[in-house]
Amino acid sequence: MFTISQLFNYIQSDLGNIITYTIEHAQLVGLAILIAIIIGVPLGIYLTTNEELAETILQIASIFITIPSIALFGIMIPILSNIGQGIGFLPALIALVLYSQLPIIRNTYTAINNVDPNIRDAAKGIGMTNFQRLIKVEIPIGMPLIMAGVRTATVLNIGIGAIAAFIGSGGLGVLINSGISRGNTNMVMTGAIFVSILALIADFLLKWIQKKATPKGIQ
Amino acid sequence: MIEFQNVSKVYQGDVKAIDDINMTVNDGEFVILLGPSGCGKTTLLRMVNVLESITEGDIRVQGKSSKELNPIELRRNIGYVIQSNGLFPNMTIEDNTMIVPDLLGWDRKKKRNRFNYLMDLVGLNPDDYRKRFPHELSGGQQQRIGVIRAMASDPPVMLMDEPFGALDPIIRHRIQDEFLAIQQEVKKTILFVSHDIDEAIRMGDRIALIREGKIMQYDTPTEILTHPKNEFVSEFVGQDRVLKSMSLYSVQDLVDAFNLESSKQEVADTKMIHSDTSLRVAISMLLNQEADQIVIVDQQDNQLGSLTLNLIEKFLHREVKGKER
Repeated sequence: MFTISQLFNYIQSDLGNIITYTIEHAQLVGLAILIAIIIGVPLGIYLTTNEELAETILQIASIFITIPSIALFGIMIPILSNIGQGIGFLPALIALVLYSQLPIIRNTYTAINNVDPNIRDAAKGIGMTNFQRLIKVEIPIGMPLIMAGVRTATVLNIGIGAIAAFIGSGGLGVLINSGISRGNTNMVMTGAIFVSILALIADFLLKWIQKKATPKGIQ
Repeated sequence: MIEFQNVSKVYQGDVKAIDDINMTVNDGEFVILLGPSGCGKTTLLRMVNVLESITEGDIRVQGKSSKELNPIELRRNIGYVIQSNGLFPNMTIEDNTMIVPDLLGWDRKKKRNRFNYLMDLVGLNPDDYRKRFPHELSGGQQQRIGVIRAMASDPPVMLMDEPFGALDPIIRHRIQDEFLAIQQEVKKTILFVSHDIDEAIRMGDRIALIREGKIMQYDTPTEILTHPKNEFVSEFVGQDRVLKSMSLYSVQDLVDAFNLESSKQEVADTKMIHSDTSLRVAISMLLNQEADQIVIVDQQDNQLGSLTLNLIEKFLHREVKGKER
Protein backbone atom coordinates (compact mmCIF):
# COMPACT_ATOMS: atom_id res chain seq x y z
CA MET A 1 0.00 0.00 0.00
CA PHE A 2 1.34 3.42 -0.97
CA THR A 3 0.76 6.48 1.19
CA ILE A 4 2.17 9.98 1.15
CA SER A 5 3.55 9.65 4.69
CA GLN A 6 5.43 6.47 3.72
CA LEU A 7 6.91 8.35 0.78
CA PHE A 8 8.14 11.15 3.03
CA ASN A 9 9.57 8.62 5.45
CA TYR A 10 11.49 6.96 2.64
CA ILE A 11 12.83 10.27 1.35
CA GLN A 12 13.95 11.26 4.84
CA SER A 13 15.68 7.97 5.52
CA ASP A 14 17.55 7.87 2.20
CA LEU A 15 18.11 11.61 1.66
CA GLY A 16 21.90 11.35 1.32
CA ASN A 17 21.68 8.90 -1.58
CA ILE A 18 18.85 10.78 -3.24
CA ILE A 19 20.89 13.98 -3.28
CA THR A 20 23.93 12.16 -4.66
CA TYR A 21 21.81 10.71 -7.48
CA THR A 22 20.32 14.13 -8.21
CA ILE A 23 23.77 15.71 -8.46
CA GLU A 24 24.97 12.89 -10.73
CA HIS A 25 21.93 13.41 -12.92
CA ALA A 26 22.48 17.16 -13.13
CA GLN A 27 26.17 16.68 -13.95
CA LEU A 28 25.42 14.23 -16.76
CA VAL A 29 22.76 16.45 -18.33
CA GLY A 30 24.72 19.67 -17.75
CA LEU A 31 27.85 18.36 -19.43
CA ALA A 32 25.81 16.90 -22.31
CA ILE A 33 24.06 20.23 -22.92
CA LEU A 34 27.34 22.16 -22.76
CA ILE A 35 28.88 19.89 -25.41
CA ALA A 36 25.67 20.00 -27.45
CA ILE A 37 25.75 23.83 -27.45
CA ILE A 38 29.42 23.91 -28.46
CA ILE A 39 28.63 21.63 -31.43
CA GLY A 40 25.08 22.66 -32.27
CA VAL A 41 25.17 26.48 -32.23
CA PRO A 42 28.15 26.92 -34.59
CA LEU A 43 26.77 24.16 -36.81
CA GLY A 44 23.35 25.83 -36.93
CA ILE A 45 24.99 29.14 -37.85
CA TYR A 46 27.14 27.51 -40.51
CA LEU A 47 24.11 25.77 -42.04
CA THR A 48 22.50 29.16 -42.81
CA THR A 49 25.22 29.58 -45.44
CA ASN A 50 24.63 26.16 -47.00
CA GLU A 51 20.98 25.37 -47.72
CA GLU A 52 21.55 21.88 -49.13
CA LEU A 53 23.67 20.67 -46.25
CA ALA A 54 21.12 22.18 -43.85
CA GLU A 55 18.39 19.89 -45.24
CA THR A 56 20.57 16.83 -44.78
CA ILE A 57 21.87 17.64 -41.31
CA LEU A 58 18.45 18.58 -39.95
CA GLN A 59 17.05 15.32 -41.31
CA ILE A 60 19.80 13.29 -39.68
CA ALA A 61 19.19 15.08 -36.39
CA SER A 62 15.46 14.37 -36.72
CA ILE A 63 16.19 10.66 -37.22
CA PHE A 64 18.29 10.53 -34.06
CA ILE A 65 15.51 12.01 -31.99
CA THR A 66 13.05 9.32 -33.22
CA ILE A 67 15.29 6.44 -32.07
CA PRO A 68 13.95 5.16 -28.72
CA SER A 69 16.51 5.97 -26.09
CA ILE A 70 16.77 2.42 -24.79
CA ALA A 71 17.62 1.26 -28.32
CA LEU A 72 20.26 3.96 -28.75
CA PHE A 73 21.94 2.88 -25.51
CA GLY A 74 21.81 -0.71 -26.76
CA ILE A 75 23.43 0.22 -30.05
CA MET A 76 26.25 2.03 -28.29
CA ILE A 77 27.24 -0.84 -25.99
CA PRO A 78 29.03 -2.93 -28.69
CA ILE A 79 30.52 0.17 -30.38
CA LEU A 80 32.00 1.67 -27.21
CA SER A 81 33.03 -1.74 -25.85
CA ASN A 82 35.92 -1.48 -28.30
CA ILE A 83 37.43 1.20 -26.05
CA GLY A 84 36.23 -0.48 -22.88
CA GLN A 85 33.44 2.05 -22.27
CA GLY A 86 30.41 0.00 -23.34
CA ILE A 87 28.42 0.98 -20.28
CA GLY A 88 28.57 3.85 -17.84
CA PHE A 89 28.90 7.62 -18.15
CA LEU A 90 30.36 7.95 -21.66
CA PRO A 91 27.63 6.19 -23.70
CA ALA A 92 24.98 8.05 -21.73
CA LEU A 93 26.73 11.35 -22.44
CA ILE A 94 27.03 10.63 -26.16
CA ALA A 95 23.36 9.66 -26.40
CA LEU A 96 22.24 12.84 -24.66
CA VAL A 97 24.44 15.01 -26.87
CA LEU A 98 22.90 13.37 -29.95
CA TYR A 99 19.35 13.90 -28.68
CA SER A 100 20.08 17.58 -28.00
CA GLN A 101 21.29 18.32 -31.49
CA LEU A 102 17.92 18.65 -33.22
CA PRO A 103 16.39 21.37 -31.01
CA ILE A 104 19.66 23.29 -30.74
CA ILE A 105 20.70 23.14 -34.40
CA ARG A 106 17.21 23.75 -35.73
CA ASN A 107 16.50 26.70 -33.44
CA THR A 108 19.87 28.33 -34.13
CA TYR A 109 19.45 27.83 -37.86
CA THR A 110 15.93 29.28 -37.78
CA ALA A 111 16.96 32.17 -35.50
CA ILE A 112 19.75 33.34 -37.81
CA ASN A 113 17.73 32.74 -40.98
CA ASN A 114 14.78 34.70 -39.60
CA VAL A 115 16.70 37.94 -39.05
CA ASP A 116 14.91 40.62 -41.08
CA PRO A 117 16.63 40.76 -44.51
CA ASN A 118 16.52 44.57 -44.34
CA ILE A 119 18.53 44.53 -41.14
CA ARG A 120 21.04 42.15 -42.69
CA ASP A 121 21.21 44.38 -45.76
CA ALA A 122 21.81 47.46 -43.62
CA ALA A 123 24.57 45.65 -41.70
CA LYS A 124 26.26 44.68 -44.98
CA GLY A 125 25.81 48.13 -46.53
CA ILE A 126 27.32 49.79 -43.47
CA GLY A 127 30.51 47.80 -43.96
CA MET A 128 30.34 45.05 -41.35
CA THR A 129 32.28 41.87 -42.05
CA ASN A 130 30.31 38.60 -41.93
CA PHE A 131 31.72 37.89 -38.49
CA GLN A 132 30.87 41.33 -37.12
CA ARG A 133 27.36 41.01 -38.51
CA LEU A 134 26.96 37.67 -36.74
CA ILE A 135 28.32 38.83 -33.38
CA LYS A 136 26.83 42.32 -33.24
CA VAL A 137 23.49 41.79 -34.96
CA GLU A 138 22.37 38.30 -35.92
CA ILE A 139 23.18 36.33 -32.75
CA PRO A 140 21.81 39.00 -30.35
CA ILE A 141 18.58 39.21 -32.37
CA GLY A 142 18.33 35.40 -32.59
CA MET A 143 19.16 34.87 -28.90
CA PRO A 144 15.61 34.17 -27.61
CA LEU A 145 15.07 31.44 -30.22
CA ILE A 146 18.52 29.91 -29.70
CA MET A 147 17.95 29.79 -25.94
CA ALA A 148 14.50 28.25 -26.44
CA GLY A 149 16.21 25.39 -28.27
CA VAL A 150 18.64 24.92 -25.38
CA ARG A 151 15.75 24.84 -22.92
CA THR A 152 13.88 22.21 -24.94
CA ALA A 153 17.01 20.09 -25.20
CA THR A 154 17.69 20.36 -21.45
CA VAL A 155 14.24 19.26 -20.33
CA LEU A 156 14.29 16.45 -22.91
CA ASN A 157 17.69 15.30 -21.63
CA ILE A 158 16.68 15.29 -17.97
CA GLY A 159 13.92 12.82 -18.89
CA ILE A 160 16.10 10.63 -21.09
CA GLY A 161 18.92 10.79 -18.54
CA ALA A 162 16.75 8.77 -16.14
CA ILE A 163 16.69 5.90 -18.63
CA ALA A 164 20.48 5.99 -18.95
CA ALA A 165 20.66 4.38 -15.49
CA PHE A 166 19.98 1.08 -17.28
CA ILE A 167 23.49 1.23 -18.73
CA GLY A 168 25.06 2.21 -15.44
CA SER A 169 25.45 5.95 -15.80
CA GLY A 170 24.06 6.63 -12.32
CA GLY A 171 21.63 9.46 -11.64
CA LEU A 172 18.00 9.44 -10.53
CA GLY A 173 17.24 6.58 -12.95
CA VAL A 174 18.97 4.29 -10.44
CA LEU A 175 16.15 4.91 -7.94
CA ILE A 176 13.49 4.19 -10.56
CA ASN A 177 15.33 1.14 -11.86
CA SER A 178 15.91 -0.51 -8.51
CA GLY A 179 12.45 0.55 -7.28
CA ILE A 180 10.88 -1.38 -10.17
CA SER A 181 12.98 -4.49 -9.66
CA ARG A 182 12.32 -4.54 -5.89
CA GLY A 183 8.68 -3.60 -6.22
CA ASN A 184 9.34 -0.49 -4.10
CA THR A 185 6.82 2.16 -5.21
CA ASN A 186 8.33 4.77 -2.89
CA MET A 187 11.68 4.56 -4.66
CA VAL A 188 10.05 4.82 -8.10
CA MET A 189 7.96 7.78 -7.00
CA THR A 190 10.92 9.54 -5.41
CA GLY A 191 12.98 9.10 -8.57
CA ALA A 192 10.17 10.46 -10.74
CA ILE A 193 9.47 13.40 -8.44
CA PHE A 194 13.11 14.45 -8.28
CA VAL A 195 13.46 14.18 -12.07
CA SER A 196 10.52 16.55 -12.41
CA ILE A 197 11.90 18.95 -9.80
CA LEU A 198 15.27 18.94 -11.55
CA ALA A 199 13.58 19.69 -14.89
CA LEU A 200 11.60 22.56 -13.39
CA ILE A 201 14.66 24.10 -11.74
CA ALA A 202 16.75 23.77 -14.91
CA ASP A 203 14.04 25.33 -17.04
CA PHE A 204 13.59 28.17 -14.57
CA LEU A 205 17.34 28.79 -14.49
CA LEU A 206 17.63 28.78 -18.26
CA LYS A 207 14.66 31.11 -18.57
CA TRP A 208 16.52 33.54 -16.33
CA ILE A 209 19.71 33.17 -18.41
CA GLN A 210 17.66 33.67 -21.58
CA LYS A 211 16.29 36.91 -20.18
CA LYS A 212 19.73 38.13 -19.21
CA ALA A 213 21.23 37.15 -22.57
CA THR A 214 18.49 38.77 -24.66
CA PRO A 215 19.25 42.41 -25.51
CA LYS A 216 16.85 44.87 -23.90
CA GLY A 217 15.74 46.31 -27.21
CA ILE A 218 14.07 43.10 -28.38
CA GLN A 219 12.49 41.88 -25.14
CA MET B 1 31.94 62.31 -57.14
CA ILE B 2 30.42 59.14 -58.53
CA GLU B 3 31.18 58.15 -62.11
CA PHE B 4 29.36 55.38 -63.95
CA GLN B 5 31.32 54.19 -66.96
CA ASN B 6 29.52 51.84 -69.37
CA VAL B 7 27.98 50.02 -66.42
CA SER B 8 25.93 46.92 -67.16
CA LYS B 9 24.49 44.14 -65.07
CA VAL B 10 23.41 40.90 -66.69
CA TYR B 11 21.64 38.21 -64.70
CA GLN B 12 21.76 34.54 -65.61
CA GLY B 13 19.79 33.87 -68.76
CA ASP B 14 20.89 37.14 -70.37
CA VAL B 15 18.45 39.38 -68.52
CA LYS B 16 19.92 42.87 -68.69
CA ALA B 17 19.00 44.62 -65.47
CA ILE B 18 21.32 47.56 -66.14
CA ASP B 19 22.19 48.42 -69.69
CA ASP B 20 25.30 50.48 -70.43
CA ILE B 21 24.82 53.37 -67.98
CA ASN B 22 27.05 56.41 -68.25
CA MET B 23 26.51 59.23 -65.81
CA THR B 24 28.36 61.42 -63.36
CA VAL B 25 27.23 62.73 -60.00
CA ASN B 26 29.33 65.77 -59.15
CA ASP B 27 30.67 66.66 -55.72
CA GLY B 28 27.91 68.03 -53.53
CA GLU B 29 25.24 67.21 -56.06
CA PHE B 30 21.91 65.64 -55.11
CA VAL B 31 20.87 63.24 -57.85
CA ILE B 32 17.62 61.27 -57.94
CA LEU B 33 17.35 57.91 -59.66
CA LEU B 34 13.71 57.95 -60.70
CA GLY B 35 11.65 55.31 -62.44
CA PRO B 36 8.84 52.77 -62.20
CA SER B 37 9.37 49.70 -60.02
CA GLY B 38 11.57 47.07 -61.60
CA CYS B 39 13.40 49.60 -63.78
CA GLY B 40 16.73 48.82 -62.14
CA LYS B 41 17.18 52.00 -60.10
CA THR B 42 17.76 50.19 -56.81
CA THR B 43 20.10 47.69 -58.48
CA LEU B 44 22.11 50.58 -59.91
CA LEU B 45 22.34 52.20 -56.47
CA ARG B 46 23.43 48.97 -54.81
CA MET B 47 26.15 48.49 -57.41
CA VAL B 48 27.85 51.61 -56.08
CA ASN B 49 28.61 50.00 -52.71
CA VAL B 50 29.03 46.55 -54.26
CA LEU B 51 25.95 45.01 -52.67
CA GLU B 52 25.28 44.02 -56.29
CA SER B 53 28.11 42.92 -58.54
CA ILE B 54 29.02 44.79 -61.72
CA THR B 55 28.99 42.64 -64.87
CA GLU B 56 30.59 45.16 -67.20
CA GLY B 57 32.02 48.65 -66.92
CA ASP B 58 33.24 50.47 -63.85
CA ILE B 59 31.92 52.69 -61.07
CA ARG B 60 34.36 55.17 -59.58
CA VAL B 61 33.60 56.75 -56.21
CA GLN B 62 35.80 59.74 -55.34
CA GLY B 63 38.05 58.71 -58.22
CA LYS B 64 38.62 55.17 -57.02
CA SER B 65 37.27 52.13 -58.83
CA SER B 66 35.18 49.84 -56.66
CA LYS B 67 37.14 46.96 -58.17
CA GLU B 68 40.36 48.18 -56.57
CA LEU B 69 38.94 48.54 -53.08
CA ASN B 70 37.98 46.01 -50.46
CA PRO B 71 34.14 46.12 -50.32
CA ILE B 72 34.17 46.42 -46.51
CA GLU B 73 36.44 49.51 -46.61
CA LEU B 74 34.47 50.96 -49.50
CA ARG B 75 31.12 50.60 -47.69
CA ARG B 76 32.44 52.25 -44.52
CA ASN B 77 33.16 55.34 -46.58
CA ILE B 78 29.73 55.51 -48.17
CA GLY B 79 26.61 56.36 -46.17
CA TYR B 80 23.74 53.98 -46.83
CA VAL B 81 20.07 54.54 -45.93
CA ILE B 82 17.27 52.12 -46.77
CA GLN B 83 13.50 52.46 -46.80
CA SER B 84 12.79 50.32 -43.75
CA ASN B 85 15.54 52.22 -41.84
CA GLY B 86 17.36 48.95 -40.99
CA LEU B 87 18.09 50.00 -37.42
CA PHE B 88 19.40 47.18 -35.25
CA PRO B 89 16.67 46.41 -32.68
CA ASN B 90 19.19 45.06 -30.16
CA MET B 91 21.17 48.30 -29.96
CA THR B 92 20.40 51.64 -28.36
CA ILE B 93 19.94 54.71 -30.53
CA GLU B 94 23.47 55.89 -29.70
CA ASP B 95 25.01 52.50 -30.52
CA ASN B 96 23.00 52.31 -33.74
CA THR B 97 24.05 55.76 -34.84
CA MET B 98 27.68 55.27 -33.93
CA ILE B 99 28.08 51.82 -35.47
CA VAL B 100 30.36 52.94 -38.31
CA PRO B 101 32.59 55.14 -36.10
CA ASP B 102 32.73 52.13 -33.79
CA LEU B 103 33.88 49.87 -36.64
CA LEU B 104 36.42 52.53 -37.55
CA GLY B 105 37.72 52.54 -33.96
CA TRP B 106 36.84 56.08 -32.87
CA ASP B 107 37.31 56.79 -29.17
CA ARG B 108 34.35 57.23 -26.85
CA LYS B 109 34.56 60.99 -26.55
CA LYS B 110 34.73 61.58 -30.28
CA LYS B 111 31.74 59.28 -30.77
CA ARG B 112 29.71 61.05 -28.10
CA ASN B 113 30.40 64.49 -29.58
CA ARG B 114 29.48 63.28 -33.03
CA PHE B 115 26.25 61.71 -31.73
CA ASN B 116 25.26 64.94 -29.98
CA TYR B 117 26.01 66.99 -33.09
CA LEU B 118 24.00 64.71 -35.40
CA MET B 119 21.00 64.49 -33.07
CA ASP B 120 20.89 68.29 -32.88
CA LEU B 121 20.99 68.34 -36.67
CA VAL B 122 17.72 66.38 -36.90
CA GLY B 123 16.15 68.17 -33.94
CA LEU B 124 16.18 65.29 -31.44
CA ASN B 125 17.52 65.80 -27.94
CA PRO B 126 20.60 63.53 -27.66
CA ASP B 127 20.17 62.83 -23.95
CA ASP B 128 16.51 61.89 -24.31
CA TYR B 129 17.23 59.27 -26.95
CA ARG B 130 20.75 58.03 -26.22
CA LYS B 131 19.70 54.95 -24.22
CA ARG B 132 16.43 54.22 -25.97
CA PHE B 133 15.77 51.44 -28.43
CA PRO B 134 14.49 51.72 -32.00
CA HIS B 135 11.08 50.19 -31.23
CA GLU B 136 10.41 53.01 -28.76
CA LEU B 137 10.59 55.62 -31.54
CA SER B 138 7.99 56.69 -34.11
CA GLY B 139 8.50 55.87 -37.77
CA GLY B 140 9.64 59.40 -38.56
CA GLN B 141 12.13 59.44 -35.69
CA GLN B 142 13.50 56.04 -36.70
CA GLN B 143 14.04 57.28 -40.23
CA ARG B 144 15.87 60.37 -38.95
CA ILE B 145 18.15 58.05 -36.98
CA GLY B 146 18.61 55.95 -40.14
CA VAL B 147 19.74 59.08 -41.98
CA ILE B 148 22.18 60.31 -39.33
CA ARG B 149 23.59 56.81 -38.92
CA ALA B 150 24.59 56.99 -42.57
CA MET B 151 26.23 60.38 -41.91
CA ALA B 152 27.98 59.28 -38.73
CA SER B 153 31.54 59.01 -40.01
CA ASP B 154 30.97 62.03 -42.28
CA PRO B 155 31.31 60.10 -45.57
CA PRO B 156 31.48 62.32 -48.66
CA VAL B 157 29.02 60.12 -50.56
CA MET B 158 25.58 58.91 -49.48
CA LEU B 159 23.31 56.32 -51.08
CA MET B 160 19.64 56.51 -50.16
CA ASP B 161 17.13 53.88 -51.26
CA GLU B 162 13.64 55.40 -50.99
CA PRO B 163 14.50 56.54 -47.47
CA PHE B 164 11.20 58.33 -46.88
CA GLY B 165 8.98 55.97 -48.86
CA ALA B 166 7.36 54.24 -45.89
CA LEU B 167 6.36 57.43 -44.06
CA ASP B 168 2.94 59.05 -44.17
CA PRO B 169 2.73 62.10 -46.47
CA ILE B 170 2.82 64.79 -43.77
CA ILE B 171 5.85 63.37 -41.98
CA ARG B 172 7.51 62.57 -45.31
CA HIS B 173 7.15 66.18 -46.42
CA ARG B 174 8.58 67.48 -43.17
CA ILE B 175 11.56 65.13 -43.23
CA GLN B 176 12.24 65.98 -46.88
CA ASP B 177 12.44 69.65 -45.93
CA GLU B 178 14.64 68.89 -42.94
CA PHE B 179 16.94 66.81 -45.04
CA LEU B 180 17.21 69.51 -47.72
CA ALA B 181 18.19 72.00 -45.03
CA ILE B 182 20.83 69.57 -43.71
CA GLN B 183 22.12 69.02 -47.23
CA GLN B 184 22.52 72.80 -47.63
CA GLU B 185 24.88 72.63 -44.69
CA VAL B 186 26.78 69.39 -45.29
CA LYS B 187 26.87 69.32 -49.11
CA LYS B 188 27.12 65.56 -49.53
CA THR B 189 27.26 63.84 -52.88
CA ILE B 190 23.95 62.01 -52.85
CA LEU B 191 22.41 59.31 -55.00
CA PHE B 192 18.77 58.92 -54.02
CA VAL B 193 16.32 56.33 -55.36
CA SER B 194 12.67 57.34 -55.69
CA HIS B 195 9.59 56.34 -57.67
CA ASP B 196 7.81 59.53 -56.75
CA ILE B 197 8.10 62.33 -59.31
CA ASP B 198 7.02 64.97 -56.79
CA GLU B 199 9.73 63.93 -54.37
CA ALA B 200 12.27 63.94 -57.21
CA ILE B 201 11.33 67.47 -58.25
CA ARG B 202 11.43 68.76 -54.70
CA MET B 203 14.69 67.16 -53.70
CA GLY B 204 16.95 66.70 -56.68
CA ASP B 205 19.52 68.94 -58.30
CA ARG B 206 19.32 66.55 -61.21
CA ILE B 207 17.06 63.60 -62.01
CA ALA B 208 18.05 60.46 -63.92
CA LEU B 209 14.89 58.91 -65.27
CA ILE B 210 15.41 55.19 -65.76
CA ARG B 211 13.47 52.60 -67.69
CA GLU B 212 14.44 48.96 -68.21
CA GLY B 213 18.00 49.59 -67.07
CA LYS B 214 18.60 52.51 -69.41
CA ILE B 215 18.73 56.25 -68.70
CA MET B 216 15.88 57.98 -70.53
CA GLN B 217 16.89 61.48 -69.49
CA TYR B 218 19.43 62.96 -67.06
CA ASP B 219 18.63 66.58 -66.43
CA THR B 220 17.56 69.21 -63.95
CA PRO B 221 13.95 68.97 -62.72
CA THR B 222 13.00 72.05 -64.74
CA GLU B 223 14.41 70.60 -67.95
CA ILE B 224 12.71 67.27 -67.38
CA LEU B 225 9.38 68.98 -66.81
CA THR B 226 9.65 71.49 -69.60
CA HIS B 227 11.59 69.48 -72.19
CA PRO B 228 10.86 65.80 -71.79
CA LYS B 229 13.16 64.08 -74.25
CA ASN B 230 10.77 61.35 -75.28
CA GLU B 231 7.29 60.00 -74.84
CA PHE B 232 8.21 57.84 -71.84
CA VAL B 233 9.54 60.84 -69.93
CA SER B 234 6.56 63.06 -70.64
CA GLU B 235 4.20 60.22 -69.73
CA PHE B 236 6.10 59.50 -66.52
CA VAL B 237 6.13 63.11 -65.36
CA GLY B 238 2.42 63.24 -66.12
CA GLN B 239 -0.11 65.42 -67.90
CA ASP B 240 0.07 67.90 -65.07
CA ARG B 241 3.76 68.56 -65.55
CA VAL B 242 3.16 72.27 -66.02
CA LEU B 243 1.42 72.36 -62.67
CA LYS B 244 4.23 70.28 -61.13
CA SER B 245 6.83 72.68 -62.43
CA MET B 246 5.02 75.39 -60.46
CA SER B 247 6.38 73.85 -57.27
CA LEU B 248 9.87 74.74 -58.48
CA TYR B 249 9.08 78.45 -58.35
CA SER B 250 8.25 80.62 -55.38
CA VAL B 251 6.01 83.64 -55.32
CA GLN B 252 9.22 85.68 -54.94
CA ASP B 253 10.36 84.49 -58.40
CA LEU B 254 7.19 85.95 -59.81
CA VAL B 255 7.65 89.19 -57.90
CA ASP B 256 11.18 89.45 -59.32
CA ALA B 257 10.11 88.54 -62.83
CA PHE B 258 7.52 91.30 -63.03
CA ASN B 259 9.24 93.82 -60.78
CA LEU B 260 6.10 94.04 -58.73
CA GLU B 261 5.93 97.04 -56.50
CA SER B 262 4.04 97.50 -53.39
CA SER B 263 0.70 99.04 -54.07
CA LYS B 264 0.12 101.38 -51.19
CA GLN B 265 -3.58 100.85 -51.22
CA GLU B 266 -4.85 98.85 -48.27
CA VAL B 267 -6.91 95.95 -49.47
CA ALA B 268 -9.44 94.86 -46.95
CA ASP B 269 -10.69 91.33 -46.41
CA THR B 270 -8.06 89.59 -48.51
CA LYS B 271 -5.80 86.73 -47.66
CA MET B 272 -2.05 87.18 -47.54
CA ILE B 273 0.66 84.94 -48.87
CA HIS B 274 4.35 84.85 -47.97
CA SER B 275 6.74 85.41 -50.83
CA ASP B 276 8.62 82.17 -50.15
CA THR B 277 5.53 80.03 -50.75
CA SER B 278 5.68 77.87 -53.86
CA LEU B 279 3.62 78.95 -56.84
CA ARG B 280 1.82 75.62 -56.79
CA VAL B 281 0.45 76.38 -53.36
CA ALA B 282 -0.35 79.92 -54.47
CA ILE B 283 -2.49 78.65 -57.35
CA SER B 284 -4.47 76.34 -55.16
CA MET B 285 -4.98 79.15 -52.66
CA LEU B 286 -6.34 81.37 -55.38
CA LEU B 287 -8.66 78.63 -56.60
CA ASN B 288 -9.85 77.86 -53.07
CA GLN B 289 -10.35 81.47 -52.01
CA GLU B 290 -12.81 82.30 -54.76
CA ALA B 291 -11.03 85.65 -54.49
CA ASP B 292 -9.48 87.46 -57.40
CA GLN B 293 -6.30 88.30 -55.61
CA ILE B 294 -4.05 87.57 -52.67
CA VAL B 295 -1.69 90.08 -51.12
CA ILE B 296 1.95 89.09 -51.30
CA VAL B 297 3.94 89.89 -48.17
CA ASP B 298 7.59 89.34 -47.25
CA GLN B 299 8.95 88.00 -43.98
CA GLN B 300 8.45 91.37 -42.29
CA ASP B 301 4.84 91.51 -43.50
CA ASN B 302 5.62 94.30 -45.97
CA GLN B 303 3.21 94.18 -48.87
CA LEU B 304 4.94 93.39 -52.15
CA GLY B 305 1.95 93.48 -54.47
CA SER B 306 -1.02 91.35 -55.27
CA LEU B 307 -1.20 87.97 -56.86
CA THR B 308 -3.85 86.98 -59.38
CA LEU B 309 -4.41 83.90 -61.51
CA ASN B 310 -3.91 86.13 -64.50
CA LEU B 311 -0.45 87.10 -63.30
CA ILE B 312 0.52 83.47 -62.69
CA GLU B 313 -0.63 82.58 -66.18
CA LYS B 314 1.60 85.30 -67.60
CA PHE B 315 4.54 84.07 -65.53
CA LEU B 316 3.90 80.50 -66.61
CA HIS B 317 3.91 81.56 -70.22
CA ARG B 318 7.19 83.34 -69.81
CA GLU B 319 9.11 80.97 -67.58
CA VAL B 320 7.82 77.54 -68.37
CA LYS B 321 6.14 77.41 -71.73
CA GLY B 322 8.52 80.05 -73.06
CA LYS B 323 11.30 77.53 -72.69
CA GLU B 324 9.50 74.94 -74.80
CA ARG B 325 10.98 75.33 -78.17
